[in-house]
Amino acid sequence: MSVGGAVGALSALDPKKLRMYGLVGSVVGIYLGALLNSALNTTVFSFIGALAAIFAVLMGANAVRRVCAYGIGTGVPSIGMLALGMGIIAVMFGLSVAEALGFGLLGPIITLVYAGVFGYIIGVIANKVIKFNIPIMEEGNSDLSMAGAMALLGWSFAISGTLGYADILKDVLMTGYIAIIFIAGGLAILHPFNANLGPDEKQDRTLVNSVMVSGIAMIATGIAAILTQGLAAGLLQLVIGFALWFYFFKMYYKLVKRDAAAVVGTGLLPPTVQ
Amino acid sequence: MNFDINTIVYILEILVGGLLVGIGVHFVPVGGAPAAMAQATGIGTGTVQLAAGSGLTGLLAAGFMMSVTDNLWLILASGAVGAGIMMGSTMLTGSWIYAYAVGAPFASAKVNYDPITGFSQPPYVAPGTVGQGIPTICFVSGLIGGMMGGLGGAMIYYPLYLINGNAALSAMFAIGIFLVNAVIASWNIQGTIEGFHDPKFKKWPFAFRACAIASILLALAAVLITGGA
Repeated sequence: MSVGGAVGALSALDPKKLRMYGLVGSVVGIYLGALLNSALNTTVFSFIGALAAIFAVLMGANAVRRVCAYGIGTGVPSIGMLALGMGIIAVMFGLSVAEALGFGLLGPIITLVYAGVFGYIIGVIANKVIKFNIPIMEEGNSDLSMAGAMALLGWSFAISGTLGYADILKDVLMTGYIAIIFIAGGLAILHPFNANLGPDEKQDRTLVNSVMVSGIAMIATGIAAILTQGLAAGLLQLVIGFALWFYFFKMYYKLVKRDAAAVVGTGLLPPTVQ
Repeated sequence: MNFDINTIVYILEILVGGLLVGIGVHFVPVGGAPAAMAQATGIGTGTVQLAAGSGLTGLLAAGFMMSVTDNLWLILASGAVGAGIMMGSTMLTGSWIYAYAVGAPFASAKVNYDPITGFSQPPYVAPGTVGQGIPTICFVSGLIGGMMGGLGGAMIYYPLYLINGNAALSAMFAIGIFLVNAVIASWNIQGTIEGFHDPKFKKWPFAFRACAIASILLALAAVLITGGA
């Protein structure tokens, strides 16, 4: 019952704990990948960046379900796009400023701080100026902004293999792969709640869905990495991404069956469901 | 990064661009899911998708013009027209579906007479709905909104490109600024709006203030980034 055990662990995570896992997991993961890559002079550890992004995505998906549970009136995708919009600005700002200051390795920290502060301000604007009056808006937007930034940074690292600003510009932005991870990140953060919302929405099902979509994103970064870093680094990401997607897809399907009133075959597919 | 008078001009340009995006969103007839089922007036998708669509088209058009000339007015005009065409063709093809596939008469539930054509609206609003399709007033309003979005997109992209000289970076950064402003504005209209004749349009000063604060913060970050050359 490994699946059941993991589900049990995911089912009752409170937002504070999840935020801590998300921040620590993504920052440590990105730095671990960068250090291993540069210390051993290789690119095979780039996949750790894509794994680190999953922690950030989990935090973001949970923030989406907390904020959107209040009903924001514009659909779930809007808040996901906001997260990614704030995230991309934070990433570019953080990496660029860190490079300009001469401490390239500080990039993720500056990114995180800027994203957190900016997200908080957007939350304050939403509550005070637009008059949303959602009590967790500031906190939720701060989480979302940080999640979007760290996810984009993790995937950018997975594609470029270094944290250098010039390399990320050359490998991720100039090639256009940024568009893929932008939308993949949007899917991983906003889609889970959009797909699972309703009175029977459960945290574990939503979060398992987000890990599953992160697996698909990892397949995409793997394909991009084959072209930027070579076959070994790219293929490793592709295989791990596929394995993640497959495992969590099965888990997700199990959870859907658990929560659904009934699962019936349509008659078109082989009758594998009972 | 040298801080001089140009920097202030760049910041102001980004601020105005962000405000144009934020106000432009209020002009676009956004119907959301109800409009997709022809139960509300407007285009059947969310604000952010429409704003992002018109803004990105404007960005592309502006970027293309920028590769031939560096005249600010031509670039802005190209961005506005590009986004206007995008929004116009979206509404036109959407109208074909509402007219010929769904078979709904276009009617606005927010006004009794179309301010432009003067046609009476209430007899054509189906019971239980808040209008259908894209009436003339909404179409005109949408065109204005799309052009404002494109103008805003071009207005953001132009100074960014002058700051860092990297087209890809400027475009992504502009998309980020664009999305933040579009989402804040769409939160202000709470989902659906018909255009400038809609009573909800009067809420625009809130979005103006919110977008101004957000755009200033984004502009300050934008002038600090470098092209990484």
